[in-house]
Amino acid sequence: MNSNDHATELAFRPNASPADHNASVPSHSAAEAARRHISLVEQRALSNRGWRGTWMLFRRELARFMRVAGQTIVSPVLTTMLWFVVFGYSLGSRLEEIQGVPYVDFLVPGLIMLNLINNAFLNTGFSLFISKVHGSVVDILLTPLTPIQLIVGYIAASLLRAMIIGCLIWLVAGIMGASTLHNPAFTLLFMVLTSTAFALFGLTVAILAEDFDHINLFPAFLLMPLTFLGGVFYSIDMLPGPWDTLSLANPILYMVNGLRYGMTGVSDVPVGLGLLLVATSVAVFGAAAYYLLSTGKKLRE
Amino acid sequence: MVEPYSQSHLLSIRNLTKRYGELTAVNDVSLDIAPGEIFALLGVNGAGKTTMIGCITGLISRYEGEIRVAGYDVRTDYRVTRQLVGLVPQELNFDGFFPTAETVRYQGGYFGGRDLSRRTEHLLETFALKDKARANTRKLSGGMKRRLMVCKALMHEPALLFLDEPTAGVDVDLREELWAYIRKLRDSGTTIVLTTHYLEEAENLADRIGIVNRGRLLRVDTRESLMRHFGRRWIEVRLSAPATGELLSALEGLHPENPEPDRVRISFPERDHGAGGDGAPVRRLTQAIQGAGLEIETLDGGRSRLEDIFREVVHADS
Repeated sequence: MNSNDHATELAFRPNASPADHNASVPSHSAAEAARRHISLVEQRALSNRGWRGTWMLFRRELARFMRVAGQTIVSPVLTTMLWFVVFGYSLGSRLEEIQGVPYVDFLVPGLIMLNLINNAFLNTGFSLFISKVHGSVVDILLTPLTPIQLIVGYIAASLLRAMIIGCLIWLVAGIMGASTLHNPAFTLLFMVLTSTAFALFGLTVAILAEDFDHINLFPAFLLMPLTFLGGVFYSIDMLPGPWDTLSLANPILYMVNGLRYGMTGVSDVPVGLGLLLVATSVAVFGAAAYYLLSTGKKLRE
Repeated sequence: MVEPYSQSHLLSIRNLTKRYGELTAVNDVSLDIAPGEIFALLGVNGAGKTTMIGCITGLISRYEGEIRVAGYDVRTDYRVTRQLVGLVPQELNFDGFFPTAETVRYQGGYFGGRDLSRRTEHLLETFALKDKARANTRKLSGGMKRRLMVCKALMHEPALLFLDEPTAGVDVDLREELWAYIRKLRDSGTTIVLTTHYLEEAENLADRIGIVNRGRLLRVDTRESLMRHFGRRWIEVRLSAPATGELLSALEGLHPENPEPDRVRISFPERDHGAGGDGAPVRRLTQAIQGAGLEIETLDGGRSRLEDIFREVVHADS
């Protein structure tokens, strides 16, 4: 790149004298310089696979949420620990075991799922949407990154944020005495899949969204209620009819219970169904995001 | 050593049309840009210049027609063309999360660039933004944001740089500096397409000018050629005594005017200027004055500006 640093060799000096105004066609030397430069950039373009750029997008997204780590990491972890202390310890000690599991242990996967869903969705959703609002999304649209590479860059950062928060809560809960290590490998897999699904959902919504309400609509009016009704705090066995049956139509119930199985070994619903559901969500939201990015709908119009 | 690019066109647009519902923003435009030139797309706001550039740079993906950069289709081979092309958008944007230097660095990184810190530092210095390197981009003034956008567009060293209204909202001093910089950039190998509605800008910078009106490219030519085809000259003399009717009728065909009794003004197409022989306007004027037995006291003259030509071309279209 050194030999080609032509642009930077030029100084942007105040009071620079205007050059000859009367050149009517590019001079021979300018055309020659241009031809050499075109070939050089062409070679560079042909050898650029785009993954360095993807890595840079991931780093940018990571740096974005780490810059506001107070809001994006510390706040959700602290809030959840408060829930945990209040519901798990002060009230939980008065509650009986659920399906043979102490209430505190029962609560941990629910609270983690709540955070995974929210943070994975909001990270991609907010980041892409705000760049649409500020106009800086053109910086991304001008790059040679493919739809897959854009998805990987955005989703990887979102996934990392969700996993940092999820694992911190898991760790602190463990330190505070919760027993949640029934099947750690399954737990991690489930956390990764769920976070990926909701990060992809956030990306899709951000592409489609036209104002801030659209971004806030989903967490406030869809994700939060469905999560709360999805057995974060209770087993559906404890619900009176017909609510126990109706709850089975809530997809997040299967996600909460999948994670609960990994941590405690108990679940209201078949675990395989939960796994299938999150895997399907990844595929569906992934396909939606890919479709939007590759056709340019909403973004390149 | 890489073989220099051998095609005669760097950018080649064929029958580009872009519709938004009922509105045809770009209407059947074909255009070729040669390596190393500075090309100005001239037109009023809303003429379709930005839409045209959007189609080339990948900001707009649905259009009719074909666009190639260095022979690569901008839709199917976008991974190559986007590396070749750089854009400074018209609308100021900023990334409120990061300081100036970081946004520039990231932009180079998306294109797979190496040695990003050095290049970032160099560009910020070049564009007098070095002391703002750590300032959040939100806090930059309009002129600084414009320069920041130029830095971002140059990070991957594009071969074809689009400047969409580069000096809109920029003060006069800065405009001169930007013009000087654009010329230097071209001299060192970057082909440049700029849009502007300042005729002065096109007149100062461009090798060739394309006049755009209501989505159509009405005319593409060198500035000189536009002048030759559309330009007019005028000559006005003050005579030693009032002009006679005989004198004025001797000037038929040269649009003689007689604004004051002792003043005579003629105008004629640029292409007649310098044509020799008895029909040459200046010769006819002097002969007519001599024939009338008068003397020239003062002489004034001039040529139409690009602005007049632009008005004429656009007016003929509507």
